[in-house]
Amino acid sequence: MSDSATDSVAAPTLHTLEFRGTGGEYFRIWIVNLVLTIITLGIYGAWAKVRTLRYFRGNTFLADHPFDYHASPVRILIGRIIALVLLLGYSISARVHPYAAVAWGILLLFALPWLVVSSLRFNARNTSYRNVRFNFVGSLGGAAYAYILWPFLAVITLLTLWPLAHRARDYFYINNHTFGGKAFFTKFSGWSIYRIYLLGIAMLFGLVLLAVPVAILVLLPLGLLKTDPKTMGALLVGPIALLYLAFLYAIYAIPIVVRTMSINLALGNTTLDGRHELRSTLSPLRMAWIVLSNAFLTLITVGFYYPWSRVRLARYEAAHLSVLATTDLDEFTSEAIATQGAIGEEIASFLDLGIGL
Amino acid sequence: MNLEGVYFFPHTSRPVHAFASLSPERNLIIVDAAGTVVAQAPFKAVVVSQRLGRLRRRLKLPDAGHFETSDNDGVDAMLHQAGRLRSGGLIDRLERSVKWVVVALLLAVLSVYLLVAYGFPAAAVWLARETPASVATIISEQTLQTLDRLALSPSKLKPIQMQKARTLFARVSTLGARGAAGYRLLFRHGGVVGPNALSLPDGTVVMTDELYVLVQRDDELEGVFGHEIAHADRRHGLQMLYEGSLIPAAIVLVTGDPSQLGQIAAALPAILIETSYSRRFEQQADDDSAVMLKRIGGDPAALGEFLERMDRKLCGQKGCSASWLGSHPATADRAARLRNESGRSPNGGQTRRPAPHG
Ligand SMILES: [Zn+2]
Repeated sequence: MSDSATDSVAAPTLHTLEFRGTGGEYFRIWIVNLVLTIITLGIYGAWAKVRTLRYFRGNTFLADHPFDYHASPVRILIGRIIALVLLLGYSISARVHPYAAVAWGILLLFALPWLVVSSLRFNARNTSYRNVRFNFVGSLGGAAYAYILWPFLAVITLLTLWPLAHRARDYFYINNHTFGGKAFFTKFSGWSIYRIYLLGIAMLFGLVLLAVPVAILVLLPLGLLKTDPKTMGALLVGPIALLYLAFLYAIYAIPIVVRTMSINLALGNTTLDGRHELRSTLSPLRMAWIVLSNAFLTLITVGFYYPWSRVRLARYEAAHLSVLATTDLDEFTSEAIATQGAIGEEIASFLDLGIGL
Repeated sequence: MNLEGVYFFPHTSRPVHAFASLSPERNLIIVDAAGTVVAQAPFKAVVVSQRLGRLRRRLKLPDAGHFETSDNDGVDAMLHQAGRLRSGGLIDRLERSVKWVVVALLLAVLSVYLLVAYGFPAAAVWLARETPASVATIISEQTLQTLDRLALSPSKLKPIQMQKARTLFARVSTLGARGAAGYRLLFRHGGVVGPNALSLPDGTVVMTDELYVLVQRDDELEGVFGHEIAHADRRHGLQMLYEGSLIPAAIVLVTGDPSQLGQIAAALPAILIETSYSRRFEQQADDDSAVMLKRIGGDPAALGEFLERMDRKLCGQKGCSASWLGSHPATADRAARLRNESGRSPNGGQTRRPAPHG
């Protein structure tokens, strides 16, 4: 139990995350959550959220040990009530005076760093692995730098600096997370993230250039069949709609590809405590396929595929994230941290600020 | 009672293979594989996580040490033995019972149906009615500006034609909820919009030149005006706006997932639901128009005939009903409904002014 000296000289081991939840099991949890949330007019939603996050973290295993989630539903409920009151205040004042919306926007801009930091901190502090908590130590200044200054710079340079703004956000996110007081750290070149965005732009152009000949190839033979312009119009509506839908889905795929590649880049260069290396080997096309086919299946089953779709995504993501550990991962000790209210987190999630990688 | 699992000393991540049991004094005793006691605490001070699926149970000791085990039934038995198994297990029993899951499924389908069929429309009606006139004016002006910039252009109608339309508009608008002064008629050249009339929440009715030239009888145009005034009175435009934002918001609230997946999945149902709502709005506006026409002695069926003529103009002899999404409110149905209204009217559907329209 105490021979850590021999541990540290052992060969590095690659531990891959594993998601052990099943769609059927999550479906039962989801449907009960759904009904209780509707019956209680949304109040149970806070408990539902905790159960859902516990289910997903608790079924994610690393080296045969699960993660865990500890948030108190009551805190989340209070946070949601405050978010709702603010939202109501916004909509009422916006009715009384149209410029009130502008004032709220400015207020939100000032509150943004606090919302981002408290959201990330709440989430991290309530997540544990092997009895040791994660933490987030980002400052308000750091959040303002990553979430306001960089996007502002990107906008005034006509988005040419956007990839660097993205990198600043990833740095803020990863480099301020800690586990048992040990820091996560990532660093990668500007060119490597520019390359991802350039590829995304190339895909977009390629798609648009491809769309015209494909449309002509498909529609031309159909058009030649009938000479009567009126019946031809009716005949073409279906294929045009299908082509448009296919085009739309392909367009949706591009941001998923870009996002997946940037996650691979950011996490793949991450170390914990300067010793344990993270590996992220998500396939961009595979991710696009999973997300889009999930959306499609959820759509045609009027939502009932949703639990399976989340499990499917979680399983794939876990299977492609691993840790190259130089030791047994059992020498971490937790630091004394107090969990704080969920107010910031709930406001942030109400506004869907999209905080993360 | 002996639970097998893993123990973590306070604040450490090193797992120890261990066993937990309840002593007669209701103390939780944790021993390692060698039988040495590694931790103990009064059981009432131990925080036990709620049962959830096959997740490992976490028994958190007061000193922040923690024991975890996959033996869910064993933990429940221990809680039972200590007299601590209360409502916490209720949700889990619901989740594990096939009967209750089926009941929940049916309840979910029913409540989603009730929400979509009655809840959202009722909320939208309430919100639309509560929206102050100043906001309705701003929305209307914005919408008109956008339309003018994107599609519409100044009318090419002759002054005498405009005068004629204004006279008919005045006849109908006196019957509107806001009185004649509450509405105004604007003329535009439709361009890509084609023959159309639309109403804005502040009582503005916009008519395209292309619609005017299709009109053959006065009460056809009066029917169109009555229809658009009804849209404005019932604030259908605002209702559409609110329903359009309520549905995605509700989907996010229920799934708790404001991600890309949720948004993509929400898009199509929202469109379909809105289409069915818009069909209901058209029917209401047609009914109101019929009532107004009867009061000024016109024929409600004229609007139906006009709609059918517009359809033929737009889509050829067969009409638009074979539209690929089937979303177009069937003009034939609307015309039949209006003819029905006309049949019940005291005028018996006779044409008051058979003279062809100028
Ligand atoms: Zn209408």
